Amino acid sequence: MASADLPEIRTPFDEFEVGFNIIIDLITPGTRVLDLGCGSGTLLQRLRDEKDVEGCGVELEQESVIQCVERGIRVMKLDLDDGLGGFPDLSYEYVILSRTLQQLMRPDLVLKEMMRVGSKCIITFPNFGHWKVALQYLIRGRVPQCSTHPHPWFNTPDIHPVTISDFRDFIKEIGGKIEREIHIVGNVPREDAFWANRRAEWGCCLISAV
Amino acid sequence: MPTEPIREYADSDGRYGVVQTQYARFDGIQLESGFYLGPLTVAYETYGTLSPNKDNAVLVVHALSGDAHAAGKDKDGRIGWWDAMIGPGKGIDTDRYFVICSNCLGGCKGSTGPRSINPATGKPYGRSFPLITMSDMVNVQRMLMDHLGIDCLLTVVGGSMGGMQALDWAVRYPSRVRSSVVIAATARLSPQGIAFNWVGRNAIYSDPIRACGDPDKTALREKDGRGLAVARMIGHITYLSEDTMEVKFGRKRKLTDMEGFRYSLGENGTEDGEFEVESYLEHQGSAFVRRFDEDSYIIITKAIDYFDLEGQYGSLTNAFKDITAKILVISFSSDWLYPSSMSHAIVKAMQANKKEVAFIELDLPYGHDSFLVNAGIPSMTRIMKGFLNGVR
Repeated sequence: MASADLPEIRTPFDEFEVGFNIIIDLITPGTRVLDLGCGSGTLLQRLRDEKDVEGCGVELEQESVIQCVERGIRVMKLDLDDGLGGFPDLSYEYVILSRTLQQLMRPDLVLKEMMRVGSKCIITFPNFGHWKVALQYLIRGRVPQCSTHPHPWFNTPDIHPVTISDFRDFIKEIGGKIEREIHIVGNVPREDAFWANRRAEWGCCLISAV
Repeated sequence: MPTEPIREYADSDGRYGVVQTQYARFDGIQLESGFYLGPLTVAYETYGTLSPNKDNAVLVVHALSGDAHAAGKDKDGRIGWWDAMIGPGKGIDTDRYFVICSNCLGGCKGSTGPRSINPATGKPYGRSFPLITMSDMVNVQRMLMDHLGIDCLLTVVGGSMGGMQALDWAVRYPSRVRSSVVIAATARLSPQGIAFNWVGRNAIYSDPIRACGDPDKTALREKDGRGLAVARMIGHITYLSEDTMEVKFGRKRKLTDMEGFRYSLGENGTEDGEFEVESYLEHQGSAFVRRFDEDSYIIITKAIDYFDLEGQYGSLTNAFKDITAKILVISFSSDWLYPSSMSHAIVKAMQANKKEVAFIELDLPYGHDSFLVNAGIPSMTRIMKGFLNGVR
């Protein structure tokens, strides 16, 4: 995964409420949930408290891992780019990848692993297709820097920018099916938002194997 | 990465206060080898108060050279080996938990071992002490729990050899442990580990006076014991990391006022160490001879060599199938004796069985002994507190 020393200057992970709310709404109570790149366990804690979920997190950053333990969240310190080798097939009802997709070395391999381990996958990612992003490139001729992609090109954890349209093709290609699409437009969640690829800051998809 | 000097154990304050080692006596135990060993004494200490429901007991298991004195001060003011972790308000909080630590079977700090009297001969067992296994050590701990009236432990926690036993507890006594914390351990001693132990024991075997086979050799102990000292030096190298050695010792020499090398092995060719790393090891070695028994060293390292859950159960996945305890596996990135990959193998086999396992590899530069040194204590404290909080 990307360099750990880079400060996260997007909405702090713990305050990504809109995104977390969407994910929490998608999850059936009492299920087993694996959260990849779980940070300090905010989402898993909410899932445990609000949905009685049996959660497990995967995180690489040591301080976050320790914070998970302090919160009573079960956690594994692993690098997602090494795959999910230890996790048995279909051992979780949901596997979540929140705000981490664009930071992976091989998103395709990780997604395939997620679909092997979970019955359903939930993925949220910043949309590189947003019109403001596109305009920066088109008008100014610069690599875009904005609220969803705040880092300069030469030092960014977002090594794989992806648009909502790209993501739809990508899921088809790796043999998955998008069951639901929720978009965050102007910080408001909308189911299948109109012209999402150009208007949404974030995409959030519920995916299952075909 | 900056590395602070490393002491044998972390600095601590002995906050729990003065403790006294206690002794439990049993008729004997049937060993895995088939040998019946008796009578049996177990030295142990306890800290904190057992709850009325007896559901707050934490068993702390020591490593190769440890003893029952894990926390507080003994009557001579000596501070326990994991006092930094055990005490009021510490990682294992004695205000909340009833903590027990016993000297392992085969040890030399009060529990039955090679220094104990063999009832058949009226003399110490010495090297005729029967070979034992990790499971034998665990069985003795289980007898102690029976003796203390504890049906189910909240946690068994141990590092290195102690971690092996914490794992063995979860494997063989699923109804008697709610959780295990397995630190810097392995489910199967590697050939490299066996090799280091073999060299250590060979150093002891080649001690000339020991070779006479006299079990009553207390008088000779101060005179030689070089073999045990060398074994300890080898051990110590494996517990540290290259990083730690570089920062702590570098190529510094003992006599800093001297220009250049000494170009001499000392009087009569008896080298006493020119580099600081040499005198550190020399100190560790000779201090160990004063506080440990060479036959215990032999017996315990053999038990470590024998430890192989994979071989015993066909596969690790099979070994773990009956576990009900929550498991926390902790490894250290700089540990090359029981590297992280060995801890990860434990974790994977637990996952294959869908057990409740958590895995933390701590990025600490102090090698295998990271859980005992100052710099490791703050992280370990937070982890232990958080984990114990979640065990019901």
